[in-house]
Amino acid sequence: MRSSVTVSSSVTEEQETARRAAAARLLEAHASGRPCEPVRDLVGDVESAYAVQSLLTERWLAEGRRPVGRKIGLTSRAVQRQLGVDSPDFGVLFADMAVPDGEEIPAGAVLQPRAEAEVALVLERDLTHERHTVADVIRATAFALPAIEVVGSRVRDWDITLADTVADNASAGVYVLGTRPVALGDVDLRLAGMVVERRGEQVSTGVGAACLGHPLHAAVWLADTLARLGSPLRAGDTVLTGALGPVVPVAPGDVLEARIDGLGDVRAAFAPEETEERA
Amino acid sequence: MNRLAEILDEAALTGRAVPRLTDRAALDVPAAYEVQRAVIERRRERGETLIGVKMGFTSRAKMVQMGVDDVIWGLLTDAMLVESHLDTSGLIHPRVEPEIAFLLDRPVRNPADAAAAVGAVAVGYEVLDSRYENFSFTLEDVIADNASACGFGLGPWHSPRDVGNIGLLLEVDGRPVASGSSAAILGDPVRSLTAAARLAHAAGIELQPGWVVLAGAATAAVPLPAGAHVRVSGAGLGHVEVTTR
Repeated sequence: MRSSVTVSSSVTEEQETARRAAAARLLEAHASGRPCEPVRDLVGDVESAYAVQSLLTERWLAEGRRPVGRKIGLTSRAVQRQLGVDSPDFGVLFADMAVPDGEEIPAGAVLQPRAEAEVALVLERDLTHERHTVADVIRATAFALPAIEVVGSRVRDWDITLADTVADNASAGVYVLGTRPVALGDVDLRLAGMVVERRGEQVSTGVGAACLGHPLHAAVWLADTLARLGSPLRAGDTVLTGALGPVVPVAPGDVLEARIDGLGDVRAAFAPEETEERA
Repeated sequence: MNRLAEILDEAALTGRAVPRLTDRAALDVPAAYEVQRAVIERRRERGETLIGVKMGFTSRAKMVQMGVDDVIWGLLTDAMLVESHLDTSGLIHPRVEPEIAFLLDRPVRNPADAAAAVGAVAVGYEVLDSRYENFSFTLEDVIADNASACGFGLGPWHSPRDVGNIGLLLEVDGRPVASGSSAAILGDPVRSLTAAARLAHAAGIELQPGWVVLAGAATAAVPLPAGAHVRVSGAGLGHVEVTTR
């Protein structure tokens, strides 16, 4: 699998200004809770989009947010085709994005929320090689957990291209992890069935193989890509490996339960209605 | 009814698609099932025997697409069972989809009894081949056409177990082309089995020991080309293969 992410060469002042404008637009949307216009007019290629994402990350780190891992996006062939890309993307997870299993997700916590069920990996070793094998990833993984990722776009009406979503921290919102760790040797992630239910009715179904053929393949891509960019995966990191089935639009009051065969279950509960404006 | 059944039976025998029956005759659902049974009766007259039932429209997406809120069913005969090879040259426009199959080991006397009658479970596949032009039909058409049933294959039988959320993968020539969870079948294939028992009960047919119930597809059906090797795997259930020519 080739990565479409390369290390930056030289950037003109004009490009730098445009990237800062894009970052400012997304940060304003994040802070105000009001979606913004797309940023593709300012961003251009994928490399620039990741540079914008880095500006967001820098800002959030300066605000004291604690990074706890990465999420992988665009792992389904269907979504890749829809955006006309042949590679996944990634974003940064922060500690304040983790919601305990079943606890309420406040209204407005995620802009234009949508949910998807994923396999989460928690690492116990760094992954710093230029190229990793599946064996490296298996050896570095302490355990897997079922997860629900609530993605959200700071871009109005989810009107996104690859550049928009990459710049927007891969549309990361919040996430919920299950609480029973499972060793990789005890689960067949490729053929693990996935179902998301709302009030007993299945609203999304899928399987491990739908995530780039195998969730571990996605993790290898991420490890390689981050090592090349100079910010490798580290022991303790959480990796959300990507959706196993179609994304589910969510409405206030929804309670979604995701079950991944062999990994267990996890719930995302959305607050009934908008109760307060975001600061 | 017999004339309509003859049209569909001839289409299957000759491999030539026909226009929709509803274009020429008014059919409601009960009448459509009568046509279906007449089609099966013609097969029985040729020496085929009933060995099970198949369920259709078991995914929400399909129900919405067809504008229906219940499943449909069709009947399986021994001639439809595919062993390891399938000659597609006599078929119209075959498609294949991954399935969960139940083997009954005692009669199902009522719908509440269905799950307890399961003697074994397996991963399987169904070959669909609508006898209608362009695979296009109304609800009544597809019921009359025995729910597009054409053939099916079964992996190794396993003791009954929870098959509510197992991954299914369909590969053609070693490449994955469709994948999903058995939860796409009404949330749990056992619900499809119960629905089969209900429909059979209403039709005055008793599901028999030794019969197979194909519970429904975990993914959309994909075209089944000639000269292909198809494998369907189910988590914990092994796999089933077929080679077409």
